[in-house]
Amino acid sequence: MIEHAYLLPLIAFFASLVMLFAGKEDPRSPLPWLGIGAMTACLTIAVSIFWSAAFGGGVLPYERNWRWFSLAASIGGKSFIVDMSVGTLIDGPAAVTLVVVTLVSLMVQIYSVVYMHGDTRFKRYFAFVSFFTAAMLGLVVSSSLLVTFACWELMGLSSYLLIGFWFEREGPCEAQKKAFMTTKLGDSGLYLALLLIYAKVGSFQLSQIQQFFDNGFMPATVATVIAVGILVGAAGKSAQAPLFIWLPDAMEGPTPGSALIHAATMVAAGILLVSKTYFVFLASPSAMEAAGWMGLITAFLAASMALVSFDIKRVLAFSTVSQLGFMMCALGVGGFTSGLFHLTTHAFFKALLFLGAGSVIHAVHTNDLRRMGGLSKKMPLTFLTMLIAVLAISGVPGLSGYYSKDLILADVWNHDHAMFWILLFTALMTAFYMFRLFFLAFWGDDRDHEKFSHAHESPVLITGPLVILAVFSALAGAGLDHDGLVSKLLAKPTISVMPGATAAAVAVPVDGAKAETAGHEARGESSGRGERHESHLPPWLHMTAITLVLCSITLSFFMYRGPTYALADAVKANLAPICTLLERRWYFDDFFYGLVALADQAAALAFWIDANVVDRVFVDGWGLLMLIFARISDAFDNIFVDSAVDGVGSLGNDLGVGLRSLVKEGQVQEYLMYAAISFSLAATLILTR
Amino acid sequence: MLSLITWAPLAGALIILMLPKEKVQTIQTAAFLAAAISLAASLAMIASFDRGTAAMQFVERWIWIPSLNVQYVLGVDGLSSPLVLLTAFMSVIALVGSLGIKERVKEYFFWFLVLESGMLGVFAALDLVLFYVFWELTLVPMYFLIGVWGGPKKEFAAIKFFLYTLSGSVFMLLSILAVYFKSLPHTFDMLELMKTQSAWDPRFQILVFLGFYFGMAIKIPAFPFHTWLPLAHVEAPTPISVILAAVLLKMGVYGLMRIAYGITPLGFAWFLPALITIAVINIVYGALCAMAQTDMKKMVAYSSVNHMGYCLLGIAGMSATGFSGAVLQMVNHGIITGALFLLVGVVYDRAHTRDISAFGGLAVKLPVYSGLMAMTCFASLGLPGLAGFISEFMCFLGAFPAWKWQTTVSVLGIIATAAFFLRMLQKVFLGAFNEKWAGMQDMTVRELVCVVPLALVTVWFGVYPKWPLDLINATIVHMLGK
Amino acid sequence: MTLAHYLTVAALLFLIGLFGVLTRRNVIGILMSIELMFNAANVNLAAFDRFLHPEGVAGTTLALLIITVAAAEVVVGLALLMAIHRNLGTAYVEDFNLLKG
Repeated sequence: MIEHAYLLPLIAFFASLVMLFAGKEDPRSPLPWLGIGAMTACLTIAVSIFWSAAFGGGVLPYERNWRWFSLAASIGGKSFIVDMSVGTLIDGPAAVTLVVVTLVSLMVQIYSVVYMHGDTRFKRYFAFVSFFTAAMLGLVVSSSLLVTFACWELMGLSSYLLIGFWFEREGPCEAQKKAFMTTKLGDSGLYLALLLIYAKVGSFQLSQIQQFFDNGFMPATVATVIAVGILVGAAGKSAQAPLFIWLPDAMEGPTPGSALIHAATMVAAGILLVSKTYFVFLASPSAMEAAGWMGLITAFLAASMALVSFDIKRVLAFSTVSQLGFMMCALGVGGFTSGLFHLTTHAFFKALLFLGAGSVIHAVHTNDLRRMGGLSKKMPLTFLTMLIAVLAISGVPGLSGYYSKDLILADVWNHDHAMFWILLFTALMTAFYMFRLFFLAFWGDDRDHEKFSHAHESPVLITGPLVILAVFSALAGAGLDHDGLVSKLLAKPTISVMPGATAAAVAVPVDGAKAETAGHEARGESSGRGERHESHLPPWLHMTAITLVLCSITLSFFMYRGPTYALADAVKANLAPICTLLERRWYFDDFFYGLVALADQAAALAFWIDANVVDRVFVDGWGLLMLIFARISDAFDNIFVDSAVDGVGSLGNDLGVGLRSLVKEGQVQEYLMYAAISFSLAATLILTR
Repeated sequence: MLSLITWAPLAGALIILMLPKEKVQTIQTAAFLAAAISLAASLAMIASFDRGTAAMQFVERWIWIPSLNVQYVLGVDGLSSPLVLLTAFMSVIALVGSLGIKERVKEYFFWFLVLESGMLGVFAALDLVLFYVFWELTLVPMYFLIGVWGGPKKEFAAIKFFLYTLSGSVFMLLSILAVYFKSLPHTFDMLELMKTQSAWDPRFQILVFLGFYFGMAIKIPAFPFHTWLPLAHVEAPTPISVILAAVLLKMGVYGLMRIAYGITPLGFAWFLPALITIAVINIVYGALCAMAQTDMKKMVAYSSVNHMGYCLLGIAGMSATGFSGAVLQMVNHGIITGALFLLVGVVYDRAHTRDISAFGGLAVKLPVYSGLMAMTCFASLGLPGLAGFISEFMCFLGAFPAWKWQTTVSVLGIIATAAFFLRMLQKVFLGAFNEKWAGMQDMTVRELVCVVPLALVTVWFGVYPKWPLDLINATIVHMLGK
Repeated sequence: MTLAHYLTVAALLFLIGLFGVLTRRNVIGILMSIELMFNAANVNLAAFDRFLHPEGVAGTTLALLIITVAAAEVVVGLALLMAIHRNLGTAYVEDFNLLKG
């Protein structure tokens, strides 16, 4: 199946086209089932690819290219035509991600059949979801950075469409614009990175770029610039500081759509891009360090903001940002495997969390946690699945989140102890705010009786996906960790030491053990070896971490279990300035709004200049110059040239007036007579001379 | 072949002149036939166009004024053939858009066809005098088309357009005469001049280049000569805005690449640092100006300034990628901005206002229109998968190796472009529906016939740009491979 | 028959025509007189052609041209007369003074 991987994005894309254009818009349209069928087909293909990669004899990476178009290029004064390819490149991370993306998308679509039921744009919603998934699949399988970038941008478009799905309201409109513009801001970094790569390498094929790096042709400074550009792009899409501002607002869209954005598509893309271009980072230690710190700061900031929010979706959004910070931090410290592992497990439990939250919102028709409570009695299935998800994200042993988070913490510990402690604290905050959400929503007694009495368990099309995702959330970690599967599939790429380069410019892979053995090996060979990831936390630290997480959960339980939360309010009152800071989201939003206002002022200024300076000088000024010139020549004409003409004219005039008095006016024959006489006179004169 | 393409519209114009002015339908049919003949012939030309060679094809050569060695030479290569096709295609589209014109129909179509002949001739002519004649031939019809059928300030806009562009062409004429008298034997033949120019000294080339540049920069329009454009666009009737944006602006860039670069390469090279600066200003400043607009049409007009900046950027890189990107960008910009003007015209016809804040929530009421508008806006802001992206990206690719910082600054322009288009989309189409427009109808068949082909081409060139690029490549490689 | 004979006839014809133009009161008469003058010129041309350049065709061609022009001229003249007659109700030249400055 792997040679037909190109089918994945195409199937989803055509399904989306058909859903968009075929049939009439109807709240009961059967067309969404077409999308679900298409996604099932995609899932089948993805699973078969994954299976052959994990257990069969499939050799990864698998690359297949087609000619797309040719363009002219010149180097050093010579011009020629080069081919631009489009194709698929399936490596371990891609094989894993494909399954995740298709599975989550399928679950989301099945769930949405009920959730979006009766919406006036029912069909269009499914078209958007399919389109979104198609873009993400395209990004995953593409072998060329240009196509990757194209899918990347298309994903920006689909998030724009999905977030602003209910565009009649003000909130989604603002949110969609914010999402698109923020990610676009990040994309400009990626754009520059692409330009730089092409200027240096002359190709967008990932394998060729990697070879270029492998051979050590890329100077370290350039690699750093490229890596920073990619990082800025990834920060935009994967909601890293300071560009995370769009994600908390993105929940204005339909909840299953948010699940898609937060779990499988949009935000995973940034992490995936960094992993796809990981060799660039390996060539630039400073960029790695930047990625690590960016992830760390993001994780911390977002977790702190989640502590004070009472909007169930917003808490989840902050938790996504925070978890993405974990992944980025892991990638930054050299934990390629752990970062991508967390991406996988996170996708399952975050999708589950959002869909569960959607189920709750569907039941009580509010996002406000303060008006929920005690829902475990009314919605047992949602309650149970949510419990699994919350346990998983908190990193409680046995569930998927534990395995991946454990690996991340181990990698960070090996890299830098200070970073480790900050990250551990963030993990504790994660456990705290996730259980805060959980207790507020499901535990204790109802706070809003009217909402509570209307609540009911959701139908099977909603709970079904919840259960499936819960199974994956619980078991994916153990399953992938078993027998070193994760290290085999998500093996870290290596690049060789550059011959003759200075030591500072050499990118030493962070886990030094591999540096020598890697040699000139291509990425594929190293990923096929299936060696086990070596880094682990010291046992005492491991136990401490688990204990601390459990303590954090207990603390959360005592603060939020009851219908009122006096303890929490007391803490809040004592730490008022910090709470305000958190509620204002560390003033990042205000900063960017200021930036927008600044841009507006610049625009107004530019237009003022255009209308009042440029136009005046270059059009009116030009005209004025001409006018002055015209005046001068006019005066010259009047005084000198014209008076000469006038003189001749008036002479003729006087003569004419004199002659006219001779004839009776207006008689043609008289004129003729004079003409004949004067003619004969003239003729006589001439002939007789 | 090229003569047929070029003169068919003029023949149509003369036929229209003989028809009685009451027979509106006959006039429209005749205009269509003339433009369709031109389009069909240019399609046939493209079909038999040899993509492997950089030589001029379909060359026609006649003596015109023997005493001055002026010839009637037509010919196309990869640089001009896409533009000829674009012109013929957009003319037909704009003719469909012109069916809404109700007053003085006969004169309108007459001038329109004369204009089309002029534009086609500019791209096909290979003799400087012929080129200049066609170049000026576009001015007069444009003057009348804006001045008679335009908006409230039409007379002023027409005069401004006419005088300003004319004053630019005068400098161009000076340069044409200069190269004529410099060349031995005296000739106006572009191909001859391109061969002989290498002997000329740089000072002379710089002077001549500046003359050419003034003429073309005003047409492009390059900063700071761009201020005629917003006014002319806003005042012109919709189909004429389409032609103005889609074809007339391209004449400037085409001239820059064909004549200024071909005949005075040293002057061109000398001017590059200024050109890249102008390109960056066009991009960033044009986008900022567009951001400050409240009139949709004016916003689109300033976005043209921004997009032509990409062309200049590509050219300034002096690389084959940038040059072919610029050619492709001309074609794509013609198609996309043409569609944008048509779409703005659609809403103006119904609401008689183009004020962005006067609308709201139109997406509920007019789904087809909103969908097309959103797609065109996204194409214009360079979304991959739609035509604008590839050409824009190629322009950047071409410019980047030579001008790193300037290109980096230009990327800001992309963000600003996205900002103003999104803001327009939000204010006009999204949000609560403004009940004032409750009676508004979605697009009619005629409007769809105008816009849908453009949308299809936008997708086609965006997804599979091989076809147009293959047309361009050989010539560009030859132009820059020297 | 020598050239002189022809020229004499032509000169007489021309003078008759001139006399008519100067003295006739009716515009139609004037037009007819003008025709006479044309034909005088034609006779001259034919004669010169015959006697001076018998091998060439220039003279006859010119004569043919004059016949054509004369016809056109009469058409225009009559059209003008019609217009004037409609407006002034007369065809006598002394009643016209439209050219009066």
